[in-house]
Order: sequence, then structure tokens, then C-alpha cells
Amino acid sequence: MKGSLWLAWRQQRMLVGVGLAVLATAAVIAAYSRSGMLDALRSGLFDHCGTGPLHCAQTGTGLPLLLDTAPLKVLGALNIALPVLIGVFWGAPLLGRDRELGTHRMILAQGVSRGQWFASRFGLAAASTTVISGLLAGVFAWWWRPAADRSYGLFWYESTVLNGSGPRVVAAALFGLAAGTLLGLLVRRVLSAMGLALLATGATALLLEWAHHVRLLVPPLTYTSPGSTPKAPMGDKWSTGHYGLTTASGHREDVMNCPFPSGSRLSDCMDRHGYVARFYEANPAGDYWAFQWTDTAVLGGLALLLTAVTMLLLRRRI
Amino acid sequence: MTVPDALRATGLGFRYRAKGGWILRDCEFAVPTGCITALVGRNGAGKSTLLQLAGGLLRAGAGELRVLDAVPGTPEARARVALLTQDKPLYPRFTVADTLTMGEKLNTTWDRTGAERTVREGGIAPSARVGELSPGQRTRVALALALGKRPELLLLDEPMADLDPVARGEIMATLMAEAAERGTTIVLSSHVLPELEQTCDWVLLLRDGRIELSEEAGELRDSHALLTGHRDQAGNLAEPHTVVRRRDSGRQTTALIRQHGPLRGDWHVERPRLEDVLVGYLQAGETQRTAGAGRTEAAA
Repeated sequence: MKGSLWLAWRQQRMLVGVGLAVLATAAVIAAYSRSGMLDALRSGLFDHCGTGPLHCAQTGTGLPLLLDTAPLKVLGALNIALPVLIGVFWGAPLLGRDRELGTHRMILAQGVSRGQWFASRFGLAAASTTVISGLLAGVFAWWWRPAADRSYGLFWYESTVLNGSGPRVVAAALFGLAAGTLLGLLVRRVLSAMGLALLATGATALLLEWAHHVRLLVPPLTYTSPGSTPKAPMGDKWSTGHYGLTTASGHREDVMNCPFPSGSRLSDCMDRHGYVARFYEANPAGDYWAFQWTDTAVLGGLALLLTAVTMLLLRRRI
Repeated sequence: MTVPDALRATGLGFRYRAKGGWILRDCEFAVPTGCITALVGRNGAGKSTLLQLAGGLLRAGAGELRVLDAVPGTPEARARVALLTQDKPLYPRFTVADTLTMGEKLNTTWDRTGAERTVREGGIAPSARVGELSPGQRTRVALALALGKRPELLLLDEPMADLDPVARGEIMATLMAEAAERGTTIVLSSHVLPELEQTCDWVLLLRDGRIELSEEAGELRDSHALLTGHRDQAGNLAEPHTVVRRRDSGRQTTALIRQHGPLRGDWHVERPRLEDVLVGYLQAGETQRTAGAGRTEAAA
């Protein structure tokens, strides 16, 4: 096992090095940019801003007042792309390169068993992936904290935050690795395996993004309020874009049937139409973790499943 | 039985797919330890498959194959058996030194000086990248990797295929020295029959996935005779001898027979070389297939 680990390290040290270099770069930029953010916040410029999603305006010009979150979003995008990059450049060649060159026969003819050959290289790749993706997600979380859920910062439901932070980043990276590894075993050419890994991981990322938007796995809450009093503010909740008026039977209708602010005119209009309440659908900020854990379960489960399939096929294919 | 056979097959069969054709079928043979065995057969006869089964890269579909009394692919067998496959795969981006270090790391026993000597004898610089070596040099590095683990049984699949005659002689000399010094059992498949004449003391001949011969080379040569004579007396041959191959041209017949007892009739007898015997057996299958029933009847 020690020998095959040496070989795994010898062949993957480049990838580990690149991963660590990216991580170090991200950490340096994060430290620099975050201290800039803190300075801006300490200047008192943002003190009058509310907690809601509406931008607060600069005194004088009336332009929206924002922190510079562009580099933070870039790190979020990198974290989103991580499963694709790892699947294509780490997973696909992991077994695929040996299969293409036939070198697995040379390795297995030495003192190495199939199990050791797979376990050492996949184990090293999975451990490196976990550490690098986990630290990248950690850097993002630390960097994001001062700007979290503020009108001048980034809300938790924005794609770069929801998909680019938290445990799901690690699960997604491991899924990318497992998918690439399996494809490398199934497809004889590394280049084709890389292309297929790109498709598989990219499609999965898009599918989960869509699932977030339609709230497939984390259903939204419905917030209702009578017409007479102001409704609960949206605040840092993630609106689904569905809102309106409900009848006693629970039927939902367009808000334009009574286009008035809360008060007696709205109450009268609602009584006339038989509406009993106003409603809107949204996920509260606490659902960040519900989204995180469902994604982690789905991607982690897929990663385990694909790894199990790889191990089963190992005996037949190699 | 104190010394186990180097290779022993009982009812050995193999096919790649459950419904595919059999690559090897009903193979029964035993190769003793301590000798150099030539594995002979035409393309597609199953030589590589047999070697890969022995090396533990493939698993038998039927029956059993044992190497040095161990099951191929087990840690015990892996430690004692080395296999050099036909394509001699190596990592092209590794240097020669890296490749030998890899051998040292992957094996429990490793003869560093021996492996380095094998490489040096080929005039290969340790710092050279494997991808930049000539095919012959790559073969030598792959062979160093196989020899470095000090195997008791060395399996070589067409080791000489891409070598020039000089390199062939050198590699063969390296192998002979190895066998002589350490008593390593060597099984090598080859198409270059004349070379086998001086080196091999056991012959394993495969035809269409079945073992046709598994025999001591000298005995095999001595028990056969190459006959030339008048066609009329060809009928006498079948009993008590075995006609391996017979060719009639005009009124003359040439035949390779396995001789049992004295010859009757007026024949010009030649002692065949090992190569002649092997070619005879390799062609025998062909004649039966192409010539059909007519000639078989004539021979009977």
C-alpha cells in the first residue's frame, strides 16, 4: 500500500500543487479585499442602511451604496465550477490515463493489487479534493460574513453564495471527482472521458440550480397578513415571486384586483371580493442550511453511489 | 511432489464475455520449474490471454490455473511472478530512474543493482524520459522492471517483437544469465522460432485456444521425423505413427510424423529441427481446415 501511495503522490503532486496554489491565491485576495470591506463599513458610510433587500442610497447623489463584492463573487463562481474542473482534470485521468496507456497492466504485474491501485489513487484524490474544496468554501464564508445579507453586500440566496459556500461545495467537488473517475474507467480515451465529465458535472450543477429556483427540495413558507395592518417585511427572505390575495377557501388571486397599500381602502376592496388575507411565498434566511444540507445529501449520495459502481466495475473492466 | 509446477492448468477456459467465444478452452498442461519454456502459437491462438491469466491480470472463466502452486493475482503469486505484457506499457513522462524507483516502491523484494545493471547494459541514461526512448530501449527498461522484482517465474509476452537482431541477442543473453544464475523459470511467447531452438527446453504449443503440445523440447525433436518418399507408400504411415502434416506434390510425399516404432517402406528420413516440428504442428490445423475432407481421406 505504501508503494502504491508513493506512485499516486508522484502522479498527482502536480494537481495537488495547483490546487494549493489556487487556494493560497484565493486566501491572499480574500484577506486583502475583506480588510477593505471592513474599513468601508467602519467609516460609518453604511450605518443608515436597513436590513431589507432594497439598496440604500448615497446621500447627495442618490446612487445605490454598495460594497465591492466583485472579487468575492469570482471566488463563488470558482467554487461553483470546482466539481467540473475536478471531474475533468482530476477524475477523468485518474484511472483513464492508465487505461489508455495500458500502464495499469504494468502496475498490476508489479506487487500491487487492483484494490490497492484504486484505493491509493482515489483516496489521495478524494482527500486532496476534500481539503482544498473545504478550505475554499471556508475562505468564502469568512470573506462573505461582513457583507452577509445586507443590501450593500450579498444575500444568502444569491447563486454565488448558495452554491459557492458551505458543505455543498465539498460534496459537489467529491461528486465531480467520482463522476470523472467512473467515466475514465468506462471510456477508453481520456479526452472523451474529460468531455463526458464536463457534460455530466455541468448538467448536474444546472439541474441543482434549477431545483433551487423552483424550490423543489426546500419548499417556501407562505406569509399571510390581513389587509388592515402592514405585512411582514421581506427582509432577508428569498421571495419566490408568488404573491397576491387569498379567498376563504384558500384560492389565490392576482394582487392587482386590490392595488392599495394596507389600510381601510384595501380592507374594503378585500371584503368586496371575498379575500381574507394577503400572502407571499419566500424562504427565510434560515433555509440557507436547508438548501445546503439537501444539496450535500444529494451530491454526497451521488458521489458514494458512483464510487461504489466504480469499485464494482473495477473487477470486470481492469 | 515436492517441487510445484511453474504452471499447471486443469480444464482451463477463458472468454471475455459470458456469451462470447472461448479464447482458451479445456487446457490441461503442466510446465516444470527451472526451465525456459517457449509458448508458441499463431496470432489469436490465445498466448497473450494465457500469460495474462498466469500474471493475474485476467481471471479464468473455467477450470483452474496455478502458478508455482499459488492462485494468480494473490499477494503470494504477485510477489513471485513477473509478467511483461506485449505492449510493454510504461509511464512516458517518468524518467528511467523514476521508473526503477517505482519498481522498488511497488515490490516487496527489489534488486536495485540488478535492475540498474540491466538498464545500463543497454546504454540507457537514467535521466532519460521513457517516452523519448527507442522501442528496444523501452523493452529493456520494462524487462529491468520485471527482473528487478527477482521473480521465480518470469512471463514474457513477445519480448523480442520490436528489437533489432543485436538487441535481441543481448536481451536473450540477459535472460539466459538470469535463468542460469538464479534458476528463474521463464515462459516466453515468440514467433521467432529459430531463436527458440538453442534456448528453450520446454515447448507449449497453442492452437485455436487449445493446448496441442506440452513437452520437453529435446524429446519433441527426437520423436519426430521428416520423411520424403513415393506417394504410394504414404498409406503405411498412419499406423502406427502419427502423421502431423503431410504434403503431396505430384508422386512425391513429404510428411512430418511422430514416430512410434520402426519405419516401414522406402523413405528418406531427416531429423527435423525444433522449428520444423513446431511449424509442422502450426500448419497442421491449417491444412485440415483448408484442404477439407479429400486429403484427410487420402491420408487414412
